[in-house]
Amino acid sequence: MALHDTFLHLGRKNLLQHTYKQIFMQTRGLHKTTASGSVDITHSPADLKDDTAKASEEVLDVANAKNLKDMPGPSTVSNLLEFFYRDGFSRIHEIQMEHSQKYGKIFKSRFGPQFVVSIADRDMVAHVLRAEGVAPQRGNMESWKEYRDLRGRSTGLISAEGEEWLKMRSVLRQLIMRPRDVAVFAPDVNPVVEDLVKRIKTMRSLQPDGQTVENINDLFFKYAMEGVATILYEARLGCLEEDIPKMSQEYIEALHLMFSSFKTTMYAGAIPKWLRPIIPKPWEEFCSSWDGLFKFSQIHVDKKLSEVKRKMERGEEIKGGLLTHMLVTREMSVEDIYANMTEMLLAGVDTTSFTLSWSAYLLARHPMVQQQIFEEVERVLGGRVPTGEDVANLPLIRGLVKETLSRLFPVLPGNGRVTQDDLIVGGYFIPKGTQLALCHYSTSMDEENFPSAEEFRPERWLRKDSTDRVDNFGSIPFGYGIRSCIGRRIAELEMYLALTQLLQKFHIKVSPDATDVRAKTHGLLCPGAPINLRFVDRD
Amino acid sequence: MSSSLVRVLLHRAAVARVTLAPHQTLRKTSALSRCGSVLHRQIRGINTFTLPLRTEEKVTINFVNRDGKKISVTALTGNSILDVVVDQNLDFDGFGACEGTLACSTCHVILEEDVYKKLGSISDEEMDMLDLAYGLTDTSRLGCQVCLRKDLEGMLLRVPETVADARVDSQQESST
Ligand code: HEM
Ligand code: FES
Repeated sequence: MALHDTFLHLGRKNLLQHTYKQIFMQTRGLHKTTASGSVDITHSPADLKDDTAKASEEVLDVANAKNLKDMPGPSTVSNLLEFFYRDGFSRIHEIQMEHSQKYGKIFKSRFGPQFVVSIADRDMVAHVLRAEGVAPQRGNMESWKEYRDLRGRSTGLISAEGEEWLKMRSVLRQLIMRPRDVAVFAPDVNPVVEDLVKRIKTMRSLQPDGQTVENINDLFFKYAMEGVATILYEARLGCLEEDIPKMSQEYIEALHLMFSSFKTTMYAGAIPKWLRPIIPKPWEEFCSSWDGLFKFSQIHVDKKLSEVKRKMERGEEIKGGLLTHMLVTREMSVEDIYANMTEMLLAGVDTTSFTLSWSAYLLARHPMVQQQIFEEVERVLGGRVPTGEDVANLPLIRGLVKETLSRLFPVLPGNGRVTQDDLIVGGYFIPKGTQLALCHYSTSMDEENFPSAEEFRPERWLRKDSTDRVDNFGSIPFGYGIRSCIGRRIAELEMYLALTQLLQKFHIKVSPDATDVRAKTHGLLCPGAPINLRFVDRD
Repeated sequence: MSSSLVRVLLHRAAVARVTLAPHQTLRKTSALSRCGSVLHRQIRGINTFTLPLRTEEKVTINFVNRDGKKISVTALTGNSILDVVVDQNLDFDGFGACEGTLACSTCHVILEEDVYKKLGSISDEEMDMLDLAYGLTDTSRLGCQVCLRKDLEGMLLRVPETVADARVDSQQESST
């Protein structure tokens, strides 16, 4: 009976996706997984052997597959040293490359209690993602869930799993995933770009040369936050003003805390609960930054909610954007809206700002490429402010973002999946419940996937015609499939509009004392040092 | 479940950013075709309704499923191929996983060359997702992006095999 309820429930929400039979089968699958607890992703070596043996008895055609036992990889000790002693966390992207060169395109490693199979091959990545079921799982979200349980909060898209995730995802993707649905936000984003330009002018005027803006990421961070908030909250936060309103400033601090304590919060999840009384700080910081993030989105959602209620009571017509729509239709509870707004804002700021920083950095260091893209912009727009629809006619702007994000600086250098079924990858039998790491950084730098991989060449993404293909599983910076980035089109819009207008207004140049800025991993792939650039007026 | 209910649900999902008066129901939009739904939306009070209401017409289209079996269905213009697959309960395993939001390429269909040409230009976003489709051909399209028109009467669409169908082969390959 319970199963039947679930079936109907999923069935209604998800008709578009599947036929009856499928849903039935998949729902059953989903339940089995949860019930048997096989999503548990930590295996002791003995368990692993055991599981593997058991599963291969069941699945006959895997008889020839190799055992995980025989998979190469660094030893547990050397891995611990690498990460904790030699600060491997900031070089995850480089270690990914080293290991894939040393151990091959599929290798195993162990991070404390966590056993991971890493995959650094385009076709194997494709194989894993194409085999996904209805509710893929990225990794262990226990610490996120624990915080939410503790505070009586809901999970959002990032932290939710299974049916709960699918329900929210079905609602949100219908609102913000189709490119044409998102293009309509351009009139909201353009004024933010205008403020960014103003801010650049103010900042550089404070410098002796009247041209340099120091640590450009700081500015792009504020732009990204302002941009995503205009869309999500239908509100301006004032991040690009001289005096940032107190509430927004507090939020920025909470975000910074979340980000700067990334390593500690990783430990917050990794440190067993019984150790918390002895090492309390990571968990406390983790909770307090979440408190800050939730508080901020709750204030904004509540404000809009009372506005909507007032209008409803008066029988007035309600007009609005995303949040209004969500509050009126109530396809999600208000708690779910808080959680999703919080998680989307968290996911949408650093990612977008780092990509913008790297793009501007690359443009400054490649003046010829910058000129080429500028000419395209001039030809198409002739100085006019771009609309959402114009982007289709600016293939080099799109190429610029792809070359930055997909290839040279994938903000998420790797992604994760917990296998929901037994799989054979690269000839190895991988039991259900194994944590996989998909090594996007390595595949995007692979000469086989991208000739002259080290070079910055946005034009490699131009197509001669519609049958001109690039098999680009080698670089999927937003992921692929039903669990891919929900904010992809929003991020793209923000980046296209900002970069286009920056090129229209400025020559972006390196500052005279500039040195190479290398990437380091801090959860995300970010600039290892401040990026200082000169913004010289075009006219 | 009746297809009219499905339709209402679909519309519910597809209509974002509409203007809602308290007494209004979302059902009102069901008279509109689903392709190009964005054009029917009112954004921030600005009416972007630019397409004249077309009358829907019937077209017959033919699918060839993964077993090579031909399935003919009658559908209304203005619907996408994905809409048709859903409405008619066509049992193509895993088809349209992202509900037409250009995130998955599981709605991959292979067209005949003349139909492919007739359909005209393809958006960059669709091409990017097509690049990730399994068993890509020169006349491949994403079913959620192809909108039915009267002049597509009698079109033939092949539903290519998925990675799941191919899994047995690749397993054999990889284990040898
Ligand atoms: C350049 C900018 C961005 C990049 C590179 C990026 C990248 C990613 C990646 C790689 C994932 C994981 C996908 C997967 O597991 O297959 C993801 C998930 C996610 N992103 Fe983004 N993202 C960006 C911007 C944004 C923005 C602006 C938002 C919010 C509006 C956002 C919200 C999310 C959410 C909510 C998820 C979790 C989705 C789910 O689990 O269903 N992202 N992003
Ligand atoms: S249904 Fe996912 S891209 Fe068409």
